Amino acid sequence: MIDRRRFEQLVLPHLDAAYNLARWLTRNDHDAEDVVQEAVLRACRFADSLRGDPRPWLLAIVRNACFTWLKANRPAELALGLDERVGEIPAPEAEGPEASATRNLERRVLNEAIAALPPQFREVLVLRELEDLSYRDIGRIAGAPIGTVMSRLSRARRLLAESLRVIVTASEPGASR
Amino acid sequence: MNREEARTLLPAYLDGELDPAKSVELEAHLAADPVSRAACERLRSLSNAIRDKADYHAAPAALGERLLDALPAAAERAPRLPARRNWPLAAAALASTAALAVALTLATVHPRDDERLEQEALSSYVRATLSARLADVASSDQHTVKPWLSAHLPYSPPVVDPSAQGFTLAGARLDYVGGRAVAALVYQRRQHRIDVFVWPEQEDSNLRASVRDGFNIERFARGGMRYWIVSDLNRNELDDLARLLGAR
Repeated sequence: MIDRRRFEQLVLPHLDAAYNLARWLTRNDHDAEDVVQEAVLRACRFADSLRGDPRPWLLAIVRNACFTWLKANRPAELALGLDERVGEIPAPEAEGPEASATRNLERRVLNEAIAALPPQFREVLVLRELEDLSYRDIGRIAGAPIGTVMSRLSRARRLLAESLRVIVTASEPGASR
Repeated sequence: MNREEARTLLPAYLDGELDPAKSVELEAHLAADPVSRAACERLRSLSNAIRDKADYHAAPAALGERLLDALPAAAERAPRLPARRNWPLAAAALASTAALAVALTLATVHPRDDERLEQEALSSYVRATLSARLADVASSDQHTVKPWLSAHLPYSPPVVDPSAQGFTLAGARLDYVGGRAVAALVYQRRQHRIDVFVWPEQEDSNLRASVRDGFNIERFARGGMRYWIVSDLNRNELDDLARLLGAR
């Protein structure tokens, strides 16, 4: 059982990370709040002891709650990522937008492209790029071996680069390639 | 190393998860091959774009408050206070709510650079300890270490030999901190190892110290270089080394 004082010390510092993950996975504020609140409360009530780093512990709990939620509410989205072939695009000659194009990328376009990734890929990308977590911690959170983390991350980036390339190319004035 | 292999190693390299030996090999390949270099740049710029531009959703303040409300108050450890002395608790609760609000406001921006660098420098230090790979070039001779670093980095970090002051140069390795390959100089004092991470930075800044997971960490910038010092050595002696390196 985690009381208020322990909550403030252990959990609260990582609540933003937990919420950010849930918000990216559920893709709306309302559900993210519900999922986080319920998962965190349960975890706090039933945790007898918390050893080690509370950050991956908390994120794993929230992550699992999100996937349970996805299974119930967005099964199609979840199935998309289970297909291991997703993201296995043969490495093209020009992969992704040029570095200069990425720099000029609009916030909205990028956010939408990330949100459109299958959740299994979205989560590793969010944990790696926005939370700056190591492969090891991401593996703990997603319940996957490091090799799987690496391949998902690499597919996530490839998928994202590909969809950005399509958008950027289409929006280039007078572009016809 | 061929392009195929470079392509599979690039993500781990940019994520700072590739071991130093492979990193050095990959960097040599990148230096020689413009196609792989372009692939590396694309990947780096995608990663930077996500970090700079993707939304970071900080938890709404109300969520933290609701969770706190739903949890039991701290178990009493100290003897129960008389009722009239309960006001410090109320004040503390108020203060923590205020602190919470501030923390939540601050957290809407990305984790600050300084904190990220601190984490990365410390990770590198700990990783080196765990893997027992302290130095890629093990030498107490600054005239061996400096040319080795210059040959592997696009800049030449200053290498001092403060052996007269009780710090022994043990060597150097390459590591990946703050999104770039950096020099990690390894010094020794008694049983303590000290890692000094160095990379170019134009703007000077004064010495600042912090403690993380029991390690002392100091940083400053002077003479066109930024220094991050990580060690289990005590703060005072670490300050001495920082001054020897030019800190103010």
